Amino acid sequence: MSFASMLSGLTKKKVRFVVVGGVAAAAHGSSRLTNDLDICYDADTTANIEALASVLAGWQAYPRGIEAGLTRSFIMDDRTLRNAPILTLTTSEGDIDVMDRIAGVGPYDAVRRHSERISALGVRFRVLDLPSLIKAKRAAGRPRDFDHLPELEALLALRKT
Amino acid sequence: MTARQTAVAAGADLKWMVNSAGLLGRRLRYNREQAKWWGLVWLLTEQLGLSLRAAAAVSTVVLRGGSSSTQVTAGADPSGSASLIVDLARYESIFLANLSRALVHETPRRRGRPPQRGIKGDALTAARHYGVDLGLIRSAIGRTPAERLALLEKNAAFVRDMRKRTA
Repeated sequence: MSFASMLSGLTKKKVRFVVVGGVAAAAHGSSRLTNDLDICYDADTTANIEALASVLAGWQAYPRGIEAGLTRSFIMDDRTLRNAPILTLTTSEGDIDVMDRIAGVGPYDAVRRHSERISALGVRFRVLDLPSLIKAKRAAGRPRDFDHLPELEALLALRKT
Repeated sequence: MTARQTAVAAGADLKWMVNSAGLLGRRLRYNREQAKWWGLVWLLTEQLGLSLRAAAAVSTVVLRGGSSSTQVTAGADPSGSASLIVDLARYESIFLANLSRALVHETPRRRGRPPQRGIKGDALTAARHYGVDLGLIRSAIGRTPAERLALLEKNAAFVRDMRKRTA
């Protein structure tokens, strides 16, 4: 159960994704602790949706915050991914949020254009750049996103100096 | 659950729910069961073009407690040539995904305008006033992204371990 195992599992299956949210912020220097991996995936390619669904099914993904066994069973497949644009999941590898677009940035193509490639935790992957991360936090409009803005804006200012 | 959380869990538009509740003479309640019911009504009206009243009746039949089958036939013509079948297992999966999103992501928003930075133009001063430890940020900037994420992984593992021990 770790970010490394999730990132490695996704890249091994050749899923096209960009890391966003808390892990991306940490990659840019944020000191905030996060327990879940947020990714934006390419929802325009059937093969990519199927690859991601297969990885998540292999990790026994289940909606987070819902008591297991509340209903029959959760079907983690490509149809569920297509019909739920944002999935907040708990898996055997850790918590993961998958989304097909990011508020304030756009769908996967726009997110990828505003991302940078990094090597960390033994994996090469893309993370959303800092200015876009700030835009996304502002667009999300939740109190916890607003609370993160001063730190991210300070990081951006320090980078420029 | 809030009104917005109920609408997100239903995968429906809140205004549509309010208006439809008025048309059906039904009191709008904000809870899981109602979100599930409204979600199916929304699907049947918006995707299949059923009238609101027909969709409401079908949803009530389909979601009636005690049904253990995964596919429910909600209606059929007398000759049996046309019928409406709802894949309940599939619908419940999508509903659970939306419900999880509503509970995890849709935390109540602050009322009014978004907060402005207290001191305009200087992000560092604003961050310091907000309580951000700039020393921590400066030390993080001195590290590589790989080192920063390795530290995050270590700290997250520590927290997970502590939670397990105290559970």
